[in-house]
Amino acid sequence: MGFISLEQADRLFWLGRYTERVYSTIRLYFTSADIMIDEATDSYPKFCSDLDIPNVYSDKDDFLKRYPFDKTNPDSIISNLIRAYDNAIELRETIGSEPLSYIQLSIYDMNKVNTKMTSAFHELQNVIDHILAFWGIVDDMIDSEQIRNIIKAGKRIERIDLYARLGLPAKRISREINRMIPRVEKSGLKYNAEKLENLKSLVTAPEIDYYKIVSEAETIF
Amino acid sequence: MPGYDMLLDQTDAVNELLARYGVKFGIYKNGTFNEQLFPFDPIPRIIEAGEFDYLERGLKQRVVALNMFLKDIYSKKQIVKDKVIPEDFIFASSGYMAECEDVTPVKDIYSHISGIDLVKGKDDHWYILEDNLRVPSGASYPMIARNLCRRCSPETFRDTRLQDNRDYAKLLRRTMDNVNVGGESVVLTPGRYNSAYFEHSYLAEQTGSILVSGHELFVDDDKLYYRTADGGKTRVGVVYRRISDDFMDPMNFNPESLIGIPHIYDVIRKGNLALMNAIGNGVADDKGIYYFVPKMIKYYLGEEPVLSNAPTYLPFYEEDMKYTLDKFDNLVLKDVAEAGGYGVVFGNKMTKEQKASFIELLKKEPRRFIAQEVIDFQDLDIIEGNERVARKADLRAFVLMADEPLVWKSGLTRFSRNPDSFIVNSSQGGGFKDTWVLSH
Repeated sequence: MGFISLEQADRLFWLGRYTERVYSTIRLYFTSADIMIDEATDSYPKFCSDLDIPNVYSDKDDFLKRYPFDKTNPDSIISNLIRAYDNAIELRETIGSEPLSYIQLSIYDMNKVNTKMTSAFHELQNVIDHILAFWGIVDDMIDSEQIRNIIKAGKRIERIDLYARLGLPAKRISREINRMIPRVEKSGLKYNAEKLENLKSLVTAPEIDYYKIVSEAETIF
Repeated sequence: MPGYDMLLDQTDAVNELLARYGVKFGIYKNGTFNEQLFPFDPIPRIIEAGEFDYLERGLKQRVVALNMFLKDIYSKKQIVKDKVIPEDFIFASSGYMAECEDVTPVKDIYSHISGIDLVKGKDDHWYILEDNLRVPSGASYPMIARNLCRRCSPETFRDTRLQDNRDYAKLLRRTMDNVNVGGESVVLTPGRYNSAYFEHSYLAEQTGSILVSGHELFVDDDKLYYRTADGGKTRVGVVYRRISDDFMDPMNFNPESLIGIPHIYDVIRKGNLALMNAIGNGVADDKGIYYFVPKMIKYYLGEEPVLSNAPTYLPFYEEDMKYTLDKFDNLVLKDVAEAGGYGVVFGNKMTKEQKASFIELLKKEPRRFIAQEVIDFQDLDIIEGNERVARKADLRAFVLMADEPLVWKSGLTRFSRNPDSFIVNSSQGGGFKDTWVLSH
C-alpha cells in the first residue's frame, strides 16, 4: 500500500468500531442471558437503556431471540456485524483476503442461527472466535502500521464508548484510554489532541462524568 | 489424461473455501441486489500443451489485429477507405465513440485485457464466439479456485504437471506497469453492488493496486489524483477501469454519470494517464464487426487467421439476409448491441408469432443483428448432486497486451447448468470451472 485514501481511512476506522461493538455486545449478551435465568425482575430494559438502544422487545424471550439476530432492527448484533462487513468488503485490497475471510465467516455463522434459531450460543461463540482471529491476523499479516493503527483506534474508541455507557469503573476505562491514545497518535489522521487530554482528566476526576467521556471519545477525529 | 478423482472428493471443502473468501457475484432480480456464490464445478477443462500453443498463436494474432484496427479507426480509417469494412459498420456501431477520434492511448495500446470467448466443436475444432475488448471479467475465478483446489487436494497437483494460472495478477501488473505514466496504479470500480465486485477487489489486492470509486479521484492541472487520508493528494499513473465507457466522464460522455470522474478524458487526451482498456473499444467487439475480424487479420498482418469464427452471416448484405431467412430455424440470432447472454435467440425455439415479428424487425433493422450457425460444441461433464452430467461450456481466454502480447495459460470455463441451454453466462445462472493447461 503506497498511501491510504480518506475513504479507506474512514472504512478502516468503522471496521474497527463495528467489530468491537459486535464482540463486546455478544460478551455482554452472554453475561446478561446468564443473569436472566435466575432473575425475578426483567433486566433487559436496563440493558437497552444502558446501551442507549430502543426497547422494542415484548419480553425476556423476545429480547434473547431478537437482539442478536433480528436484521430488521438496526441496533441488533447482526446489524452491527453487517455494518462491519460492509466496511470490510470494500477493504479487500487494503487488509487482504485472509483477514476479510474472518468477517465473512462471522456473517455465515450468524446467518445460520438466523434461519434455524437453534444452538445460538454456539454460533455466537464462533463469531467471537472469528473476530478474535480477525484481530490476530490484522497484527500478523498487515504490514502497514497506519492501517493497523486506524483499525485499533476505532476498536479502542468503541470500547471506551461502550464502557462509559455501561458505567464501568474508572480504572477499566482508563486502561482503554491509555491503549487508545498511541493508536490515535500513530494513525496518520488528523485528530483533536485536546480531546485526548480531556479523556485522561475525566477518568481521574473524583466523580466520573460518563456522558462527557462518550462525547469526547466520539469527537477525537 | 491427468487424474482429478482425488480433487472431486474434496468438492465440499473447495466450495467451503470459496464461500469463505467471498467468491461471489452480484445479481439484480426484480430490483433487488443479491450476492450469490459463483457455482464452481471441480472437474477441470483440460487442454493439452500443443493444443494450447495453437490457441495462443491464434489469440495473439487476433488481439494484435484488433488493436491495429482500433488505432486505424480512430485515426486514418484506412481499412474503411480500402473498402475492407463498410463504414456503416463502424459509424453506426454503438461502440464507436466520436470523442475518441485522434486520441492516442499510451504506447498505442487500446485493448490491454481482451477476453476472447471460444467453443470447441464436436469436430475438435475451436471457434471464436466473440471478442470482449471493453471490460472483460472472469479471470479471478479460476485463479482463486486453483489456489484453493491445490490447498484441498495437493496430491492431485503433485502428479499432474500444469501451467500455474495463479500468475494472472503478475501478468496484469506487468500490463499496468507497461503503460503507467508515473504514479499509483488503481482499479476503478463502480462499487460493491456491481456484479463483478469480488473480481475488482481481488485483482486490486493481488496486483497491489488501490481499489477506488470515481468520487475518490479528481483531476487537477491536467493530471489525475487521489485524495489521501492526511489531506494530501497522490498522482495516479494508470487506471484499470471496470466502468463502462459512457460512465467514465460526465464532462465528455454521459452527463448523468455519478460514478465517473469529471475531466478524466481530458487527462487521457493529453497523455497524462493510461486507461485500461481504452475508451471506444466497443467498436471492435461489436458483434457485427466480429464478422470482419478474419479480414482484419489478413489486412493488417498479411496472415491467414489461425483461429476461425463461427460461421456468421450479416443480414445487412442481401445475400446473407436471404440465407438467414431460408435457414432461420437452424440459426442463432444475436442483437449486436447486447451482451452477457442477452439478446440471443434461437430460430428453432421461437413460436410462429415470435418468428414473424422477429423477421419483421430483422428486415427493418438488418444492421442490428447477426446470424450464426449453431455450433454443435462439445459438452463437458459437471457434477450435479452425485451424478456426472454433460453440459454446454465455453472458454474465455485472456490476452494481455503488455510490452508484448501475453496469453494467460488458463481461462475461465463457463458452463450452463440448464441441460437445454447454450447460455453459459453467470448472470443467466451458469457456473465455472478451472481450465488446466498441461505443461507438456
